[in-house]
Amino acid sequence: MSTMLTNTQHLAPAAQSSSRRNTPAVKIDGVSKAFGDTTALHEAWLTVEKGEFLTLLGPSGCGKTTILNLIAGFLESDRGEIFIDGVPITDEPAYRRDVGIVFQNYALFPHMTVAKNVGYGLKMRGVPKAEIAQRVREALELVKLPGYGDRKPRELSGGQQQRVALARALVIRPKVLLLDEPFSALDKNLRSAMQVELKQIQRRLGVSTVFVTHDQSEALSMSDRIAVMSAGMIRQIGSPTEIYRQPTDRFVASFVGDTNVFQAERRSPSTVSVGGVTVGVRSTDVYDPTAEPVADLFVRPEDLAVADAGTPGTLAGRVTAKVYQGGYTDLYMETPFAEGSVMARLNGQDAVARWPDGANVGLVLPASAGVAFSASRDAG
Amino acid sequence: MSALSDRPFLRLFVSPAALIAVGFSAAVIAILQFSLRAYIPGELEPGGFSLGNFAQMGKPIYARAFLDTLLICIETALITLVLAYPLAFMLVRAKSRVLKSALLVTAVTPLFLGEVVRTYSWIIVLGNSGFVNSVLLNLGLIDRPLQMMFTTFGVVVALVHVTLPVMVIMLSAAISHIDQGYEKAAASLGASPARTFLTVTLPLSMPGIIAGVTTAFAWTFSAFATPQLIGGGQVNTISTLVYQLGFASFNFPFAAALSLAGLAFTIIVLALFKRATRPLEQLGGQA
Repeated sequence: MSTMLTNTQHLAPAAQSSSRRNTPAVKIDGVSKAFGDTTALHEAWLTVEKGEFLTLLGPSGCGKTTILNLIAGFLESDRGEIFIDGVPITDEPAYRRDVGIVFQNYALFPHMTVAKNVGYGLKMRGVPKAEIAQRVREALELVKLPGYGDRKPRELSGGQQQRVALARALVIRPKVLLLDEPFSALDKNLRSAMQVELKQIQRRLGVSTVFVTHDQSEALSMSDRIAVMSAGMIRQIGSPTEIYRQPTDRFVASFVGDTNVFQAERRSPSTVSVGGVTVGVRSTDVYDPTAEPVADLFVRPEDLAVADAGTPGTLAGRVTAKVYQGGYTDLYMETPFAEGSVMARLNGQDAVARWPDGANVGLVLPASAGVAFSASRDAG
Repeated sequence: MSALSDRPFLRLFVSPAALIAVGFSAAVIAILQFSLRAYIPGELEPGGFSLGNFAQMGKPIYARAFLDTLLICIETALITLVLAYPLAFMLVRAKSRVLKSALLVTAVTPLFLGEVVRTYSWIIVLGNSGFVNSVLLNLGLIDRPLQMMFTTFGVVVALVHVTLPVMVIMLSAAISHIDQGYEKAAASLGASPARTFLTVTLPLSMPGIIAGVTTAFAWTFSAFATPQLIGGGQVNTISTLVYQLGFASFNFPFAAALSLAGLAFTIIVLALFKRATRPLEQLGGQA
């Protein structure tokens, strides 16, 4: 009997969400926020679909945490409207928003046991005791900490504390899960293990998630979509591949992933030339034939090939350093066509052996893998 | 132990405390020997060894004084706590600097005025023709002055004022150590501001509350000027009795015995309090 009841309650939120399957989990419509004279967020437009894992990526101070705080209800927007599950929540206080948050420092209540921490949100919702116990047990099993209910947070390791924080945020079945740089306090090995696990849990539960990070590799590996931000503005929203392969913005091209910048001249809306070599580009900003043709060509290290010096159609360069990375080798070179040094990521062992330090080489630009942006545009 | 032998200079650091300890112990031993001597009426020199002083303490008037003092201390500590907590909370959390400074000045300046000055100001406020009574009389709310001087009520009011600054300081120290992230977490989990306060903020400020109540209790127990001046002989506490016995009756042996009993009483009460609040203390047990 009681199991039946519990099951119905388990299904309730799912049934509700299926009736509005097409409503985005979060919709941010032209939201702005300023602190005094500083604009923290300028007219942000963003939707998070049901079950989607969306990452807000950007350097510190770019406005990503402001968006998170606006969704959570810890800040009030100056302009614009935020919807959760299709309902405007701008006037709702934080405690009525049904949002689960994993904080950067976890913020586990130090005076409560793990079980009390996880059950806190259910208690606040007036869930019966027996059901709280049951759901807390399930949540702790989900994060692989069964039997840890009676411990205090300070008796747990950093990784375990994070699992508890995740269980506490998920057990209330939030309409959206917010993750505020949750991995920044973990060491590197634990971090990648937790990333995989978090992603698996998110998939399994299908919980709509907004993840805030400044770590671009974390963003690329975990997200369904990424919103790249800088200086209070969303620069580009797209899948990890789009963000990495087809950045539409100079800032995005330089912030996400390693890249080489060549000084180029525009030839047409879709071609540029560097040192007399003309190549196509995947993505570029608006081509204005009357403007100065100066542009920057961004080429990923893995798209840059190396040939013998003097090979026709290559750019002259000289090897300055080699960094062996195990699976691949980074070959650093200098060339008159780029301001800093350029780097090619090479796979073959023999290819690496062919070009010792100081060797003259020819740089092979990819036929159409680069992206170009006007050099005059600000870097953001 | 090992810290001292590893770093000999630490001995030097301990020496001022040791000096005070020696002086204090000497005083207590002097009082102890007085308390064990017989009182000879009309003589300042006490007589021979006697346990009579301690036997006298069983008399109803002294038992009553212990009970009254205990009640005054408990009332004062609790009322001070209730008044000081919101003040301390605002002092820590208020965003406006002006408000913060105003609170700090109001809460802490009384510390710089001594107990006697503060007590005299309360006589002006509480007296039969004092501030409170003249306001109430002029408003026609009462036809006869309320008796507040020479009552336990008056003594407690003045003692609350005396202990308030210390309580505010101790509570704000505890509250300022509470990471507001916990309160955000509680809000995100559905707790209203009131429930957040009751389930998170208050338990986490428990160490400060316990320290503050302990201090207020000990402070009130040993308070002399306030119960003496406001109580005016009508309210007897242990310290006013010790004064009367010692300096009005010149019964030094019994005064000594009574003050020792008061010391023991305070230690026992505070030990019981500490034991009773141990589970609460651990509530705020963050590093």
